[in-house]
Amino acid sequence: MDDSMFNTDSADRPDTVMVTLDGKPVALPTGMNVAAALFSIGETISRVSPTSHEPCSPHCLMGVCFECIMEIDGIQRQACLTEVHAGMVIARHLNDDKGAAT
Amino acid sequence: MSHHDVIVIGAGPAGLASSACLAEMGLNVLTLDEQHRIGGQIYRNMEAAPQHRRNLLGEDYTQGLSLAKRFRQSSATYENGANVWQVEPDGTLCYSRWGQSAQVKANYIIVATGAMERPMPIPGWTLPGVMGAGAANNLFKEAGLNPSGRVVLAGSGPLLLLEASLLAQKGVSVVALLETTPVIPPTPAISAAPKALRRTDFLWKGVAMLRDIKKAGIPHYKGVTHIHAIGQDRLEAVEAKHAGKQLRLDAELLLLHFGVIPNTHIFRQIGCKMVWKGDQRYWHPQCDEWGHTNCERIFAAGDGAVVAGALAAQYKGELAALEVAHCSGIIPAYERDALAEPVKKALKHDHWPRPLVDAIYAPRPEQINFDDNTVVCRCENISVGDLRKVVHEGVRELNELKVVTRSGMGPCQGRMCGPALAEVIAVELDQSPDQAGRLNIRPPLKPVALHEIAEMSLHVGPAAGANWLLDKKKSAGKKGA
Repeated sequence: MDDSMFNTDSADRPDTVMVTLDGKPVALPTGMNVAAALFSIGETISRVSPTSHEPCSPHCLMGVCFECIMEIDGIQRQACLTEVHAGMVIARHLNDDKGAAT
Repeated sequence: MSHHDVIVIGAGPAGLASSACLAEMGLNVLTLDEQHRIGGQIYRNMEAAPQHRRNLLGEDYTQGLSLAKRFRQSSATYENGANVWQVEPDGTLCYSRWGQSAQVKANYIIVATGAMERPMPIPGWTLPGVMGAGAANNLFKEAGLNPSGRVVLAGSGPLLLLEASLLAQKGVSVVALLETTPVIPPTPAISAAPKALRRTDFLWKGVAMLRDIKKAGIPHYKGVTHIHAIGQDRLEAVEAKHAGKQLRLDAELLLLHFGVIPNTHIFRQIGCKMVWKGDQRYWHPQCDEWGHTNCERIFAAGDGAVVAGALAAQYKGELAALEVAHCSGIIPAYERDALAEPVKKALKHDHWPRPLVDAIYAPRPEQINFDDNTVVCRCENISVGDLRKVVHEGVRELNELKVVTRSGMGPCQGRMCGPALAEVIAVELDQSPDQAGRLNIRPPLKPVALHEIAEMSLHVGPAAGANWLLDKKKSAGKKGA
């Protein structure tokens, strides 16, 4: 099943950089926040809720909802407020039993 | 600890206007914004967005560019990615940037934190595939992303129609527009109509939006109730009731929008006096036409003070700046008034259609049909049923509700559930939401790593005492927060 929720506008050709996503090397577009960049490569799940244990996706994309919180370079950050950079290490802990820490 | 004449929090229309205006007058201005590019939400990514994107978003978007230019040409120091996590009424502020926290101080702080979409819990809104209409708008502005599957838009407000018309123009498959707005406009709208007619340019924009929606053949339902997101691991369909019939629409994306409310966490943490706006059902800081809050050093500007749109925010940012310049002894009162006159005139002109728009799209209690299984607090996974139970056990106040249920204790700190918690209590007890009070907001306003605080060089003033960080509760109580 195609999980992508969003497509990049055909007129846009963003540059990409290599990051590590859940232990695997992945090319992410730059010049945008991590939440948007993950949507653009079809990664719609941001975390597993530590309370409901259900998968979550970013909801507000403006720093309010904290649904896009994920471990970025070792710290829990809001992906929508974090700019993509080369070599970034993103760990969503999607397969952990209880999800990421709050 | 660095000291500035003025710190402006936020780089949206209000923050940019305040910062530029004050810097132009020679004041030392620090502008802090949690986003990475200036513009706030309305002008998000305006400087870097490619031309075709700007063309689609139109003049309401590109009009921000002249403000951006003015800000860039000014001497204001701009720091992006700056998460303000504590603000004191004396002008001291702590913020985190690039993994380091700093304490800074200013004579005046202008809080221009803008607005956010009103979170309205509906069944299934925690499913992946359900997001704010503003979120989809932001993804397009920032990254040129368009929904790839079928989209349902639901809720109420001009921005919902705007997003529908934008998606239609882009050729996105919109399967339905579900408006909770009633078919017949409410009575207050009629008395507000004559003033709005003085702004035919504005009204035409609305007409054009509706025309685009109609031309695209989007089924448009009004007076919809019981919106329900259905799906297992992600959204599969949207259900709703319309004119006594059950609608079911298969979709991959549900965009919700129930109007916008001020983003007030900083004001509330400071201890600013808050006022309930009954017709729009939101809290906002008490302030005068210059943006003076009850705290001498704290000013409010833009949609964070009261929701009135991008241009009004810019004008209010300008007015706050003029008053701050006056209070700083830079300009006398007559000069402030002379400079403010055209701004006030523009503000008045901009405001003419606002009462009509507010009346048509005002949130109404009868729109709300809370279902026991609906999650209200997304962070802590607390449902309407959980809340109802404790309300029936005697809980009457939001902070009590928070302590008993944990709703509002998660990482978002009640940003997403706070307004709805009050609405749930209001329905249960047949009262106005403001009677349940507001969640107390304490620092840190955003999660901050402990090592960052440990590494900070803190200035502890004589008045603050040794345990200023620990003793927040006491001082918040004194301010009557």
